[in-house]
Amino acid sequence: MSYFGIDRIFKVFQTMRSYGGIKASLYKLWRMDSLRPGILVGTDKYGNQYYENKSYFYGRNRWIEYAPKYGFDYDGSQVPAEWFGWLHYKTDLLPSQDPSRPNYKWMADHTENLSGTSEQYVPYSTTKPKIQAWFCKMTFFDGT
Amino acid sequence: MAGNLFRIIKLTKNQPGFLVATTNNVSIALYSGPPPGTPPPQTKTKFGPLADEDRVFTNLYGRHDWRLKGAMKRGDWYKTKEILLKGADWIINEVKTSGLRGRGGAGFPTGMKWSFMNKPGDGRPKYLVVNADEGEPGTCKDREIMRHDPHKLVEGCLIAGRAIGAKAAYIYIRGEFYNEASNMQVAIAEAYQAGFLGKNACGSGYDFDVFMHRGAGAYICGEETALIESIEGKQGKPRLKPPFPADVGVFGCPTTVNNVETIAVSPTICRRSGSWFASFGRTRNSGTKLFNISGHVNTPCTVEEEMSIPLKELIEVHGGGVQGGWDNLLAIIPGGSSTPLIPKKVCEDVLMDFDGLVAAQTSLGTAAIIVMNKQTDIVKAIARLIMFYKHESCGQCTPCREGVAWMNKMIYRFVDGNAKPEEIDMLWEISKQIEGHSICALADGAAWPVQGLIRHFRPELEERMRRFNEQKVRASN
Amino acid sequence: MLRTTLAKVLNGAQFSPKNIAVITRAASDQAAKKPEKIEVFIDDIPVKVEPGTTVLQAAAMVGVEIPRFCYHERLAVAGNCRMCLVEVEKSPKPVAACAMPVMKGWRIKTDSELTKKAREGIMEFLLVNHPLDCPICDQGGECDLQDQSMAFGSDRSRFTDIDHSGKRAVEDKDIGPLIKTIMTRCIHCTRCIRFASEVAGVDDLGTTGRGNDMQVGTYVEKMFLSELSGNVIDLCPVGALTSKPYSFTARPWEIRKIDSIDVLDAVGSNIVVSTRTGEVMRIMPRVNEEINEEWLSDKSRFSYDGLKRQRLVTPMLRDSKGELKPVDWEVALLTVAKQLKNAGPSVGAIAGGFADAEVLVAVKDLLNKLGSEALCTEHTFPLDGSGTDLRSSYLLNNKIAGAEEADFVLLIGTNPRLEAPLLNSRLRKGYVHNELEVALIGPKVDLSYKYVHLGDSPSVLEQLVNGQHQISKKLTSAKKPLIIIGSEVLERPDGGAILSAVQKLCAATNPQTENWKVLNVLHKVASQVAALDIGYTPGVDKIRELSPKILLLLGADEGSIDKSDLSKDTFIIYLGHHGDNGAAVADAILPGAAYTEKQATYVNTEGRAQQTLTAVSPPGRAREDWKIIRALSEIIGATLPYDNLNEIRNRLDEVAPHLTRYGTAENANFFKQAEALSKSVKSQIDKTPFDVKLKELQDYFMTDSISRASPTMAKCVQAVIKQKQSKY
Repeated sequence: MSYFGIDRIFKVFQTMRSYGGIKASLYKLWRMDSLRPGILVGTDKYGNQYYENKSYFYGRNRWIEYAPKYGFDYDGSQVPAEWFGWLHYKTDLLPSQDPSRPNYKWMADHTENLSGTSEQYVPYSTTKPKIQAWFCKMTFFDGT
Repeated sequence: MAGNLFRIIKLTKNQPGFLVATTNNVSIALYSGPPPGTPPPQTKTKFGPLADEDRVFTNLYGRHDWRLKGAMKRGDWYKTKEILLKGADWIINEVKTSGLRGRGGAGFPTGMKWSFMNKPGDGRPKYLVVNADEGEPGTCKDREIMRHDPHKLVEGCLIAGRAIGAKAAYIYIRGEFYNEASNMQVAIAEAYQAGFLGKNACGSGYDFDVFMHRGAGAYICGEETALIESIEGKQGKPRLKPPFPADVGVFGCPTTVNNVETIAVSPTICRRSGSWFASFGRTRNSGTKLFNISGHVNTPCTVEEEMSIPLKELIEVHGGGVQGGWDNLLAIIPGGSSTPLIPKKVCEDVLMDFDGLVAAQTSLGTAAIIVMNKQTDIVKAIARLIMFYKHESCGQCTPCREGVAWMNKMIYRFVDGNAKPEEIDMLWEISKQIEGHSICALADGAAWPVQGLIRHFRPELEERMRRFNEQKVRASN
Repeated sequence: MLRTTLAKVLNGAQFSPKNIAVITRAASDQAAKKPEKIEVFIDDIPVKVEPGTTVLQAAAMVGVEIPRFCYHERLAVAGNCRMCLVEVEKSPKPVAACAMPVMKGWRIKTDSELTKKAREGIMEFLLVNHPLDCPICDQGGECDLQDQSMAFGSDRSRFTDIDHSGKRAVEDKDIGPLIKTIMTRCIHCTRCIRFASEVAGVDDLGTTGRGNDMQVGTYVEKMFLSELSGNVIDLCPVGALTSKPYSFTARPWEIRKIDSIDVLDAVGSNIVVSTRTGEVMRIMPRVNEEINEEWLSDKSRFSYDGLKRQRLVTPMLRDSKGELKPVDWEVALLTVAKQLKNAGPSVGAIAGGFADAEVLVAVKDLLNKLGSEALCTEHTFPLDGSGTDLRSSYLLNNKIAGAEEADFVLLIGTNPRLEAPLLNSRLRKGYVHNELEVALIGPKVDLSYKYVHLGDSPSVLEQLVNGQHQISKKLTSAKKPLIIIGSEVLERPDGGAILSAVQKLCAATNPQTENWKVLNVLHKVASQVAALDIGYTPGVDKIRELSPKILLLLGADEGSIDKSDLSKDTFIIYLGHHGDNGAAVADAILPGAAYTEKQATYVNTEGRAQQTLTAVSPPGRAREDWKIIRALSEIIGATLPYDNLNEIRNRLDEVAPHLTRYGTAENANFFKQAEALSKSVKSQIDKTPFDVKLKELQDYFMTDSISRASPTMAKCVQAVIKQKQSKY
């Protein structure tokens, strides 16, 4: 059967079924340019889902499905630090399985890269303005 | 520069418009023919010593009374009225006949100088200024006149003043000459009291005043235009010429500036006639002259002698010979510090007059002879002179201000020999760059001694440099 | 050091030699019999010149430039740099071209071996003690010494003595907050000294020491107390005198230069505005023989830093709390338009000192469309007699350049030295070169030349009119009399009577030259003549009477009107460029452009229209003034019929054609009629003595919104006061 590749057709159907139908699968394909069956290994607090499928070769076998709220505006900086190591093969332990992860109160929450958004960082000029503007310091109404 | 270029495009209204008037005079100075009293062709071959009866300055050594009484006894103020009454033209002619050349250094014919003043006036008064700012190192002739024969000068002022039609004479006397100034002042006062000066001077119907102005002691104030500035109360810095003082002089009026000696001999010329004066010395160098002999001679002195007397004779007769004998002579500066020195072999037969010394590449200057024998460090001597000029430069124009200071630095290195032989040529070139490029002649006077030194003592300079470098090499080993 | 000019020397000697008179404008105009021209040859090019022409000038005629440092055609000849030495055939020595008059048949060689050698030698001497500062010197790039050493200097150095004793070093002098001195760089050309004593009339500078130790300085440490001091910066051929505010800010090759007009006084000096990266770096004078020659007064030159302070950069509206808040143009214009619509014809406008002709005519057109005629200028002028209907009664009719030709000048209630420094420099020029006599009615001030002070009482004027004063004879016998009356004295309540008296006085004089105008009014602000030409009413009395619902201030900052003069609900709109008195009382601020930021027309006190050019763009949201008015008119619904500069200039041309004839001063006429009308004036001159606001140098620097905002000007005031208190 595998000789003719019929099992692949089955796999496609299987995958589509796991994604919840043709429509949902097509949407996913449109959004992520690939359709891969995998095991959901975890979800981070932003709603990103992490999948693994050991049948793919190393480097393709772990991936992320960005949370639906990002829509098409997803990018790599939305992966929080705790999942970053697993996703990039720094470790094989999932965040939940790794006891040595430090977790301090003062640790800042993960922020994605804000470049190109309205919240992006803009450096300010440290030189004196060429023109000093005038601002009214006194009020003249009511005899004050 | 861009601004200048722009300005060039537009023709400007200018300040130097007033120079128009001067053009005429210059042409007179440059292109006029021989003066009326053209001296006879040269026949005399032997000059000096001067006979006593031919001396103009009979109280040069102060052995007699210098005041009015004594002066009159010696013949001053004798028939001055008659001289005055003969008129300006007669006096100028007499001076022209005498061939008197300015005794202050440049040797400009005095008669011609005075005749410049005789053109029709434009209402401005004329002035005579007597340059008694005798600051040239080695020169001490005017002070002898002023302290021992002041009446000669006062009378000279009157006669010269009459000749040029001046209203008054200013005697600008060097600040350091305190006693001379006081003697002069006394003499002027005496002349006034005797009625020789002031209103109707000497009863000739001619009004003439003489004023004394004491300088503050700057060599540059001996330059005629700087002197005029100084009289006017400004900084003593030479003016541009033209306009010459004969057009715009003291207080903006026509002025003649003469040396003390020039003025002081003029009464005698008028009394004893120009041809008498012309009988001394060579043609165009006629007259008697005060020579100052100083330096390494046995009897330094100021002496009146006939012009064109051989230098050697002058030193042997009056200076008592060079210390250590004539063969011990190294060099002589023949005309005050600003003239180039001449080495011994030139000194042997040079004649002491304007033309004779010019032929020897030097100049008569003020006839202040500085004798240097072989004990002299000749480079150091010249270096000291340059230092003097550096100190006395007024700083107005560039070549003198910067160039003389530069020469001074270099020549003091030459004293030690701390230089390369090429730098001698450089020094020569710098001195040439200075010479003739400045407003007044001070820079020339600073350049000439250096040129004289290089011209005659180059081997000495090179020898020093060689020795210095040898020493340096030895010290470093 | 300075040689006084010959004329002055001769004055001292009570003598006036006509044959050697200094050639001035006057002399050249009326030279009765011209002496024959003489021919000389410059590098074998024949040229015919007047006798007395110097070699340098003769060379200039055939386009040969002779290098120079000390020579400057507006100063006396010093001849001390010796850079201009040239060879003359048959002369053993090279001659100084700047001082030597040419003689017939001279063959001058400006390119011969001797000349080149002389120049190279002088150049070397100048550089012996000149520091190698060029990389850090502000003059670098526009330095005469740099340029000429490139062109005429040697290609290698021989300064071996530097290794032994170094160069001369001279201590710097502190001569005030405007001029920075680096005296080691000085080449002793004495231009600054000659400028100070000849043009500025202040003998503050001179030389001390002699020879190599000569120094240019002020003898004792003191400030160079002159209103023209900045000019020595331009005159200095090296970097010894540079501008303090400009120091180390820009290089000449990085700046853009834009020709413009100065508006800080009514003279209208021609200037060059140097800008870099949208910022005014400095202001320098531009040659205009008719107005400022090549000088510039200090306020005009140095108050440019006021253009960067206290600026109105955004429209503002007064909110309910009474505070001015920045708003958008849209909001501002809509608010103002609403107010204007509500007010109907009850609108007034006051033009301040910096208003240009374009905005003046735009405002006039707008208000006329709205049905109002209440257009006023901040500075008043008498309306009695001919008033402002005849131009002759409010112009400096004889022109600025004409002042130096005069032989007798009567100044009434003015201090030209501080009100129009460049007019005063002309008067001084006439005084020095042309035997001009000056008399002054008004407070005793220092004019930098001698004058007869007739007291400050108006009765003197009455005596003069009656011909009873001792000076009357001089006035009537003068060949070229000039009466200059300050605009300030005409602002008095009895201004009309004063003007009519002066007109009578002018009619009594006997000028010998045709077209010689005796009556001259000296204004203090740049906008006044244009405003009067366009038809503004001088003075704010009309506004006080009408008390309009809306008052438009066109940069009116002198406080001629304040809140108490108006009704409580008057809406004040301020259109201008500086936050000063006017902006502080305004309810709406529309930020305009300053004179360096717009192409605009100004008419100076002689009635000469000139235009500024845009050097930098207006800061922030500020816009050109007339465009704001044009935009406003459209919102109101009374659209003004011009959309660009050309069209508004056409409109100006319709109103008064001379306003667009740039560079020429339109002569005023109808002197007779004005004089006849002045007879109708019945009011009397009262007894208050004449007074001027600007009496001493410290009063001069801060007089308007630009100079008041300038830190440099503030420093000047401090420095002058300090100097006046010092014992030197």
